[in-house]
Amino acid sequence: MSASTQEINNLINQTYKQGFVTEIETDTFPVGLDETVIHRLSKVKNEPDFMLEYRLKAFRHWQTMKSPDWAQLNIEPIDYQAISYYSAPKRKEDGPKSLDEIDPEVLAAYKKLGIPLDEQEKLAGIAVDAVFDSVSVATTFKGKLKDAGVIFCPISEALRDHPDLIKQYLSSVVPTGDNFFAALNSAVFTDGSFVYIPKGVRCPMELSTYFRINAANTGQFERTLIIADEGSHVSYLEGCTAPMRDENQLHAAVVELIALKDATIKYSTVQNWYPGDKEGKGGIYNFVTKRADCRGDNAKVSWTQVETGSAITWKYPSCILTGDNTISEFYSVAVTNNRQQADTGTKMIHIGKNTRSTIVSKGISAGRAQNTYRGLVKVLKSAENARNYTQCDSLLVGDKCGAHTFPYVEVKQPSAQVEHEATTSKISEDQLFFCQQRGLSAEDAVSMIVNGFCKEVFKELPMEFAVEAQALLGLSLEGSVG
Amino acid sequence: MALESNSRYVAEYPALAPELPGQNLPWLQQLRKVGLSKFSATGFPTPREEEWRYTNVSAIEKKLFAPVLDFVSIQPDLQAIDPSWLKEHQLEESWSVVLVNGHFSAELSVLDDLPDGVKVVSMAAALMALPDWLQPYLGQAVQPGEHGFVAFNSAWFTDGVFIHVPTKQVLAKPIQILNIATQADVLATTRNVVVVDCSTETTLIETFVAATDDAYLSTSVTEVFAGENATLTHYKLQAESDKAFHFGGTYVKQAQYARFTHHNFAFGGLLARCDIHTDLGQASECDLNGLYLGVKRQHLDNHTRINHLKPHAISREMYKGVLDDRARGVFQGRVIVAEDAQKTDSQMNNRNLLLSNDAEADTKPQLEIYADDVKCGHGVTVGQLDEKSIFYLQSRCIDEETARNMLTFAFANEMVDKIKIKSLHDKVLEQVLFRFPQEGVEKEWL
Repeated sequence: MSASTQEINNLINQTYKQGFVTEIETDTFPVGLDETVIHRLSKVKNEPDFMLEYRLKAFRHWQTMKSPDWAQLNIEPIDYQAISYYSAPKRKEDGPKSLDEIDPEVLAAYKKLGIPLDEQEKLAGIAVDAVFDSVSVATTFKGKLKDAGVIFCPISEALRDHPDLIKQYLSSVVPTGDNFFAALNSAVFTDGSFVYIPKGVRCPMELSTYFRINAANTGQFERTLIIADEGSHVSYLEGCTAPMRDENQLHAAVVELIALKDATIKYSTVQNWYPGDKEGKGGIYNFVTKRADCRGDNAKVSWTQVETGSAITWKYPSCILTGDNTISEFYSVAVTNNRQQADTGTKMIHIGKNTRSTIVSKGISAGRAQNTYRGLVKVLKSAENARNYTQCDSLLVGDKCGAHTFPYVEVKQPSAQVEHEATTSKISEDQLFFCQQRGLSAEDAVSMIVNGFCKEVFKELPMEFAVEAQALLGLSLEGSVG
Repeated sequence: MALESNSRYVAEYPALAPELPGQNLPWLQQLRKVGLSKFSATGFPTPREEEWRYTNVSAIEKKLFAPVLDFVSIQPDLQAIDPSWLKEHQLEESWSVVLVNGHFSAELSVLDDLPDGVKVVSMAAALMALPDWLQPYLGQAVQPGEHGFVAFNSAWFTDGVFIHVPTKQVLAKPIQILNIATQADVLATTRNVVVVDCSTETTLIETFVAATDDAYLSTSVTEVFAGENATLTHYKLQAESDKAFHFGGTYVKQAQYARFTHHNFAFGGLLARCDIHTDLGQASECDLNGLYLGVKRQHLDNHTRINHLKPHAISREMYKGVLDDRARGVFQGRVIVAEDAQKTDSQMNNRNLLLSNDAEADTKPQLEIYADDVKCGHGVTVGQLDEKSIFYLQSRCIDEETARNMLTFAFANEMVDKIKIKSLHDKVLEQVLFRFPQEGVEKEWL
């Protein structure tokens, strides 16, 4: 145990430290959503015509859809007309050309979050795209990446500069009408990251996007598209925070990953949206559609997520194993405390031959929280020798929380081997006793056991994130330990 | 099309109603009314309902089955039942209740020297003679609103069995409920109520067989009430005809310390669904075992729900499926642990063996836990035989096909071996061998 009891106590007594608000001037649309808003949005972002068509089509489809109610979540009805669909820091006519032109308040906000946008202060060689409310404010190391042939830019820029790639790949994994939130996102998405790794290139540094919600009464609609061309390799990180506010805010994102032949994509998320206060007031509603397509043979996609924030999490990073010999992994730690609710898991669709998938999901539920794993493993007839291993464990801390497991397994191919295992238990008295008998305090012991419980997932995270994730774990379980 | 047959059932109901038992009982009429209104509103379940996600019963709705109204009309059929055939299915050394096309047959039933106080009566007779005994139980273990089949059963049931075992009675022999279908297109709707009081020991066997190869629909709902410290072992052997449609639901309420052991063998029917739901009282135990063998175009659905309502209860569940040809096996198991149910210990397992390219297994084990001091787990596998085991047998001079047959048989036989009644064990084994008549499995060494 490296941290002393004093440090643990400090950690536990901390509150949500990213909960500050940055006072800046913004351009914000009035609340409400109709076709004129979409016209305006498309115009503000200076998009090509095909995008406007795309958005309107998605919007019209969205109007015919109903909000899904199958999840094990208790959601207050959301008034989609009471949200503003665009908010951006006020900027000069042409937008910032260099860091000097970015509003210093915004820069300060990122600094406070520990994400320096100044390339001199290199964050261990990670290229960062910083998304503030509805727009990307800065992307670092663009030059260096360009030399390697990698395109890493805000998606709004890609819409203008790389329309061919966008036309070919956007919505090719998550169709606009896929689900209620994906349709809404397609209609009103504002920014996010676009990554294209050309053939045979190994991306020279980790790519990262940092999402920050700042403005009140707005929704954030993020869209990320990552394309790894044949034989390429990329590791991508995503982080999120938001200020503490009394009202709920909506974050509805769509992330699409496309891995072509022999390509590898590793996608890691540390999600730390504001979870609401102890009574469940405020907090972010996080409705996310994440899906990867292993389109070429031998492609590999790995999802790692640490979900500690959000009042409500509705998220199922999935993978379609289209190519032969493709591999997909899903590692997840979901922590819920107080009145947080999480319904999260994954879908693995095996289509190609010799496809393999691994699912390791760890749920920790404390306080009055509800934590649900929901997963689907589907093996189609064509997926000869498909292999899946699923393990989902839940840990209960406190007697008023709930932990649920809803796996779906559908197999149409006899040579497939599918295994699923799940356990639910509380921290065993024996383990606690053992630690305490060795001189550790109850809190230390719990913290150690919880970290050990999650270790399998944390070891999949890049170094910097692993440290952050462990710290977050301590924070999220604040007050529920001992 | 589908709705048409549903609405025809509903349309024909007023004409049928006066013939159904229990006309003079207002509480029963109320229950039937609720069932009817639920059924007329929703019909049979559809895959849109989460609990019916993998099972589409529209094939049932395409046909129209006719209830056999009175016992007189089935008299000719009784002649048709060959005594030696009947003997094959009626267990020796048991009290046996025979229901033909949904009606009790006193002639075929064997209910001699039941111990004093033990009641084994046909439902129709019990509703006449013992309505006050039934009122606290009928419709209490399952609500007609549960789903379309329960609603249908509540409104349409023609007969069934009422069993009551009084306190501290230990039954020396099992009670068998033998359901026989004899005609094409018949609708057999039965409702059973089983009440086993405190500290009793009872073995109940439900058997579903057919003396016809044609399509018919049998729906059977059994409500079980196990008193404090009661022990009930329940076997269900479903060997309906190849074209039959079967729905069987067993809904159990266990008082504290009650032990319920269930063995489910789903072999027959074109489309068969079996529900086992149990509510566990304090420190009670339930052990659910199941084996489903699907061949040809069979669709076998197993649905279990274990409700841990009180602390210290233990539940165990093991379901195995072997699926060949174009068969489809479904397992949906749900364990719910209520807030009060601390110290719950629950383990669920489902293993599926796919033998052909067109077979399919869908499985959905669920854990829903609202208490913290619990130990719950579940495991699911879908796959094929272990190559190493096959290799081992081959290295011992057994050809590959035989090795496969032996291992497949061993996989299924584990569940058969759990049967404690010799005569039933042999009958079930016979059914297993009938469905997988591989040469490699010699009966002698079994």
